[in-house]
Amino acid sequence: MNKTLQVLLPPLLGLLLFVGIWALVAQTTPTLPGPVKTWASAVQLFSDPFYQKGPNDQGIGWNILASLQRVAIGFGMAAAIGIPLGFMIGRFQFLNAMTAPIISLLRPVSPLAWLPIGLLVFKAANPAAIWVIFISSIWPMIINTAVGVNRIPQDYMNVAKVLNLSEWKIFTHILFPAVLPYMITGIRLSIGVAWLVIVAAEMLTGGVGIGFWVWDEWNNLNVEHIIIAIFIVGIVGLLLEQVLVLLAKRFSYE
Amino acid sequence: MSMVDPAIRSGAWAAGSDAPEKTEVRIGFIPLTDCASVVIASVMGFDKKYGIKIVPSKEASWAGVRDKLVNGELDAAHVLYGLMYGVQMGIGGQKKDMAVLMNLNNNGQAISLSNQLKAKGAVDGASLAALIKKEPREYTFAQTFPTGTHAMWLYYWLGAYGVNPFTEVKNITVPPPQMIANMRVGNMDGFCVGEPWNARAIRDNVGFTAATSQGIWKDHPEKVLGATAEWVAKHPNTARAMIMAILDASKYIDDMKNRSSVARIIAEKSYVNTDFDSIEDRMLGQYNNGNGKKWQDANYMKFYNDGTVNFPYLSDGMWFLTQHKRWGLLKEDPDYLAVAKKVNQIELYKQAATQTKTPIPKDVMRSSKMIDGTVWDGKNPKSYAAGFKVRQS
Repeated sequence: MNKTLQVLLPPLLGLLLFVGIWALVAQTTPTLPGPVKTWASAVQLFSDPFYQKGPNDQGIGWNILASLQRVAIGFGMAAAIGIPLGFMIGRFQFLNAMTAPIISLLRPVSPLAWLPIGLLVFKAANPAAIWVIFISSIWPMIINTAVGVNRIPQDYMNVAKVLNLSEWKIFTHILFPAVLPYMITGIRLSIGVAWLVIVAAEMLTGGVGIGFWVWDEWNNLNVEHIIIAIFIVGIVGLLLEQVLVLLAKRFSYE
Repeated sequence: MSMVDPAIRSGAWAAGSDAPEKTEVRIGFIPLTDCASVVIASVMGFDKKYGIKIVPSKEASWAGVRDKLVNGELDAAHVLYGLMYGVQMGIGGQKKDMAVLMNLNNNGQAISLSNQLKAKGAVDGASLAALIKKEPREYTFAQTFPTGTHAMWLYYWLGAYGVNPFTEVKNITVPPPQMIANMRVGNMDGFCVGEPWNARAIRDNVGFTAATSQGIWKDHPEKVLGATAEWVAKHPNTARAMIMAILDASKYIDDMKNRSSVARIIAEKSYVNTDFDSIEDRMLGQYNNGNGKKWQDANYMKFYNDGTVNFPYLSDGMWFLTQHKRWGLLKEDPDYLAVAKKVNQIELYKQAATQTKTPIPKDVMRSSKMIDGTVWDGKNPKSYAAGFKVRQS
């Protein structure tokens, strides 16, 4: 009992403090809705999350699912390409030197700057949004995986040489287990970026999705719904990361 | 097709099948009061009468509408007149041949100024110009798209009072909610936008209406039904059916006894997503400028007006080109008349108008008197564009 209290108390206190500050700020800013008003609005919003009133008015649940689908595709492709690429860059010095300038050049580009390029190439809004997720979430995975490979103690590789292991055996028995923690860090960073970016991309491209939903509520200057959306985005992002951490733990050798 | 009277059908055009090539059309719209005719054509089922289904698709921004039209994600759109000509001429983007099928509305936009300016005595164009000269600082004005109608109304209005919108003030393109948010914190001095945003500025107590667009140009063209020329060439019958359905909707909306119910429909979350109160008054022509003046405006937002609203006058299209030239968006004088003839689909419109018994004006030009007293009638566009005292090129 005492132990659970010790675990739960600090986060609860933190949340309470946060809501308290929010309520205080809302008191002094008449246009900012406070926690009570926002909660009431959220309850109403979530009482019917899956209604369909034509293409321009769908429940909040559909919007979240639409965004998650885009993230899944974009992030999935980024992982499928970024992680193997990271391994190769970490393993082969030549490749590392070859790609280093490109990566350093493209990595800091603001995600939304990629959107017009996507629109030009794919000639459609949805693939362009997915492209933005792909291109923004691929970097942490490439870089972290490559760093992980680089950090493998030279002793391991020497042992591999002595035992005359094949490249495949090196990969499955040495590289992969040793790099896994780095890779997971990369994936966690990436999923965070992917979720961050989709909201912004959807604001510009329209259609069904939590991003355009926020935009539409902003068009209506409905501040309660905007705050609710901030929480939704935050909570979904947190859940995504936790799911990935769980998955990673299953595969971990520790 | 059985629903259409055969006598009308045979009279409209001579040969070939008139069946729509595409039965479901996606028409993009921006949540503004003047998207009404597109929405009503779909909601009230005027589209079915002509064998098509209109799917209104809410878009995030004018740039988004432009991109989706150009890359074919949208079949057509409720779009700014000037934007269509901007894309046609390749101003600030890819050049693409566009088609204006019909004009959707006249009037109903406005220029709002911030309450801070009001406190300093700037309540209309003349007093604003006086303040800008007397207390120079960086005045910021916003419009919705660089080549669009709101930019042109704003520039024309400032220019009419001797203020150069490019050198004497800062002008930026931002989405309407950002205009309100910026004006609230004193970051923005004025903006030109469609309703319900000007009414909203008053309701939110951040600004007031300094000028209506109908005060700048009575019965000015505004939003059009736009598509790419390529799409229209491939789907002429669908395009005609769209015009006919929207003409029917326009008639319905201009019947004043339907206006309140129309306002209620378009205020829904699917469409404009606002409270009914913010749109109804100005849709009925009941204006309140937020500065103590109330009036019934005879030139409120019109959607039909015996067909004079909808006819794609060549002189209207040419006017946007003259302004693009005036403000240096176009470097050279285009062949004004030839471009307008190419973009505005007069023939298609006439066929649709004949079928729906919509009166067709005799002339493809019309004569309009602007706020500064100049008359635009489509003649001598080159000297008209070069004749303004305040200009950029």
